[in-house]
Amino acid sequence: MEKLKNYRSFFLIGCSECASLCGTGGDPELASMKEAIEAEGKTVTGTLLPKTGCQTLGTKIELKKDKEACAAADAIIVMSCGAGTQSAVEIFPDKPVFPSNDSLFLGNMTRFQIFDERCSLCGECILDQTGGICPVTGCPKGLLNGPCGGTDNGKCEVSPDIECAWVRIYERMKKTDQLEDFKKTLEPKDWSASRKPATLNTRQKKEEKK
Amino acid sequence: MSFRNALESGKFVVTAEVGPPKGTDIKKILHEAEMLKNKVDALNVTDNQSAVMRISSMSFCKLLLDMGHEPILQMTCRDRNRIGLQSDLLGAAILGIKNVLCMTGDHPNAGDHKEAKPVYDIESVQLLQVVDGLNSGRDMMGNDLMGSTDFYQGAVVTPEANPLEPQMMKFEKKINAGAHFFQTQAIYDIDKFRDFMTSARKFPVKILAGLVLLKSAGMANFMNKFVPGISVPQVLIDELKAAGKEKAMETGIEIMARHIRQLKDESVCDGIHIMAIGAEDKVPAIMERAGLL
Ligand code: SF4
Ligand code: SF4
Repeated sequence: MEKLKNYRSFFLIGCSECASLCGTGGDPELASMKEAIEAEGKTVTGTLLPKTGCQTLGTKIELKKDKEACAAADAIIVMSCGAGTQSAVEIFPDKPVFPSNDSLFLGNMTRFQIFDERCSLCGECILDQTGGICPVTGCPKGLLNGPCGGTDNGKCEVSPDIECAWVRIYERMKKTDQLEDFKKTLEPKDWSASRKPATLNTRQKKEEKK
Repeated sequence: MSFRNALESGKFVVTAEVGPPKGTDIKKILHEAEMLKNKVDALNVTDNQSAVMRISSMSFCKLLLDMGHEPILQMTCRDRNRIGLQSDLLGAAILGIKNVLCMTGDHPNAGDHKEAKPVYDIESVQLLQVVDGLNSGRDMMGNDLMGSTDFYQGAVVTPEANPLEPQMMKFEKKINAGAHFFQTQAIYDIDKFRDFMTSARKFPVKILAGLVLLKSAGMANFMNKFVPGISVPQVLIDELKAAGKEKAMETGIEIMARHIRQLKDESVCDGIHIMAIGAEDKVPAIMERAGLL
């Protein structure tokens, strides 16, 4: 937050979706951020908890009621993810926008505010061939054809905190009678399917289908 | 006789391995290689072993060729994408390197550059397919090569992996992908290894039993605890202990020589791969003791 030194007043934006679930950008976090900034002798001109921060158009409309508070702020702080932050960048072409969080991964919430990474959005899903468990994400090497030599009693060589994805896949496919598929060699992945930056227009795709 | 011909002739083949150093002073490794000349059938050169950055495997393979050794180029998928791997394979071919060992490679987390981006664009099974393709004159995308390669490609397998079944399924995938020979992870229990060989013998591939020199009881305990897929039986640990600190290395040499004799005399497998890990100078003594020299 070194960057904030140069500014005196801020408008804060959270998000009621993931950032609220994570407890990093919901109402309580907006309030404590406001307190922390004010404790530094700076001003918070207003806060907004948009419905979906990454939905640029919706957030822009929600921000209309805070027009003056936004205008009065030297900078905007976004307390959701990198996507939400860049929605704000688009909405405020003339104002500096800063993220308060590092965006880590697409998480499955296994228990309240405890997250596991299960899918890394590779663009070409192979779950149908791996017993529904993703090795692209669950195996630190992203192996596609079985366990490496480092697997140890079901633990991964990278860390004993990681269950070897390939042992999990093997056990599940055995249970679900899919071991014949386990024996099939998977082709190298087409990484062009996850080329950055991606764009998608599902509306147009649907129309084309019709 | 080339490594391929030696294996295919049915000779009991011996390979050893050397690990290039970090830095350009290669006096020690050259000396080790010199000592092993005309003794082993081929010499593996590790590829940034344990993900610790060192001299590239290919460069040292070339020096070995110049010395009259037959090198086995170890190639991992950790540091190069499919363009880099194929390009290096073509490069190895024009240098005269004939043997390549296709591996996935230890994760950068195990090494001295933990912040590195792991590549793993493809993995061991797919790398074997790639080598097979280059041998047939085409790259991964099916493009024709101007001159193909003629590699003798192999892979690794862990006979004592736990669980074993998925490891064996991967072993079969590697065979289908074109592996001609396997060098195994270290084995110490010959009876257990025999069980593995019973399944492996169903396939037309050559198997070299991996043997790691035990230097002390402490080392054996350490491997049992921390190295996946290696298990040193208690009787061997007791034998090392009984020998005392001074004689431990001597006993380790004796154990390995004994195992080699047994593997050879009973035709358990097609050869051995000796990993002396820092005690490469002991390899000639081991071979002599085993009756190989
Ligand atoms: S294969 Fe894995 S990373 Fe790719 S889309 Fe499916 S779950 Fe996600
Ligand atoms: S131990 Fe299992 S999860 Fe870990 S890198 Fe190897 S195959 Fe992947």
